[in-house]
Amino acid sequence: MIRHTALDKDRLAAFADGELAPEEAAAVVMHLADHPQDQAYVDDLMAANAALAQAFAAPLSEPVPQALRDLILGPSQPAAEVVAFPAARRRGGVAVWGGPGLALAAGLAVAVFLPNGGAPDLSPGPLAQGSDLHAALQALPAGEVQVMSDGAEVMILGSLPTPDGYCREIEVMRSDAGRLDAALACTRGQGWAVEVVIVENLEEAARSEGFGTASGDEAQGFAPFLDRIGAGTFMSPEDEAAAMAGGWLR
Amino acid sequence: MSDSFRRDLVDLVPRLRRFARSLVGNAQDADDLVQAACERALRSPDLFRPGTRMDSWMYRIIQNLWLDDRRRSRTRGTTIDPDDVYLSDEGKAAQQPEDRMMLAQVRGAMASLPDAQRQVLALIAVEGLSYKETAEVLDVPIGTVMSRLSRAREALLPKLGLSEGRRQ
Repeated sequence: MIRHTALDKDRLAAFADGELAPEEAAAVVMHLADHPQDQAYVDDLMAANAALAQAFAAPLSEPVPQALRDLILGPSQPAAEVVAFPAARRRGGVAVWGGPGLALAAGLAVAVFLPNGGAPDLSPGPLAQGSDLHAALQALPAGEVQVMSDGAEVMILGSLPTPDGYCREIEVMRSDAGRLDAALACTRGQGWAVEVVIVENLEEAARSEGFGTASGDEAQGFAPFLDRIGAGTFMSPEDEAAAMAGGWLR
Repeated sequence: MSDSFRRDLVDLVPRLRRFARSLVGNAQDADDLVQAACERALRSPDLFRPGTRMDSWMYRIIQNLWLDDRRRSRTRGTTIDPDDVYLSDEGKAAQQPEDRMMLAQVRGAMASLPDAQRQVLALIAVEGLSYKETAEVLDVPIGTVMSRLSRAREALLPKLGLSEGRRQ
């Protein structure tokens, strides 16, 4: 009798794995209601399945590595199409810039400048209201390029919520100077301030063989900072639009 | 080879990388495995029958390549770098330190399973395939899938601090 004997493990496992037909599953549900030990076992199986799924989930939120994309689609793909930009849950990715003629992927030599280290063009500190960068942070949706008044191109890679505001990842490319700056700017309850800057030398990058991948450890430049301030994961375009409409205020 | 074949294959890459990582435990080796599998698929696209599931086909290629590699490397010892197992995603999958420890524990426990059991768990628990689909990918009877799964869980659950896995 199903109601009075423990079910065998395989049947409970089949239930946890979604293998049973609806009427069989319903019978197991009935059984579990008065067999707490079996219920506990099913709970454990489901917890283990969920933990396994989560433990290896990282590649799902990373862009397809450039080498693989080139292999499958052919190397002529422009970099602009290369990166699944702000992929829903990507975390701290140094970006790949899809600027004209520059197939640059991140993951090359990067130098991290923390706020007191200084970086020549894009330096840490509060941004003046009315500056190009401030305007871009306020109103530029992720993935779109804006040309600043000094000719540099700026793109927002993605936006993340933080406990007291928002952070946005920015890239500023100065192709004439061969520089690509990636920065993290956050509101932290007040106006926008640049928190971390990563500088890449484009010529050096272009000389490197291959273009690496945008998802390697090198792409984790912002992750420690984001982790430290308790940032969430990348926002969807809808959430980002809503935050923007609200003036990035919490 | 059609563009849609290539496009479908690119779209599958994130899941293939996840599958490979759950088998290999080492992110770089996992990506190498995915790359080798894609090369093989691109060399022989005719082996894929339109109308069947490309994901199952690719999982099969990956697991075959992996087993070949494991057989070759058996004499060289394990290919899993414990450091990599524990730090492979820089904490991306988890927000809290305790979650990270848990996920590191899960990856370590997975890496400790025998190959055949790890394959079955990777396909069913990580990739969400049904028992039947798993049997087809591995080319074994469904009963074999179930018994490997059961043994894998007996070993895995206690390592995760879950069930003793001994009840009948």
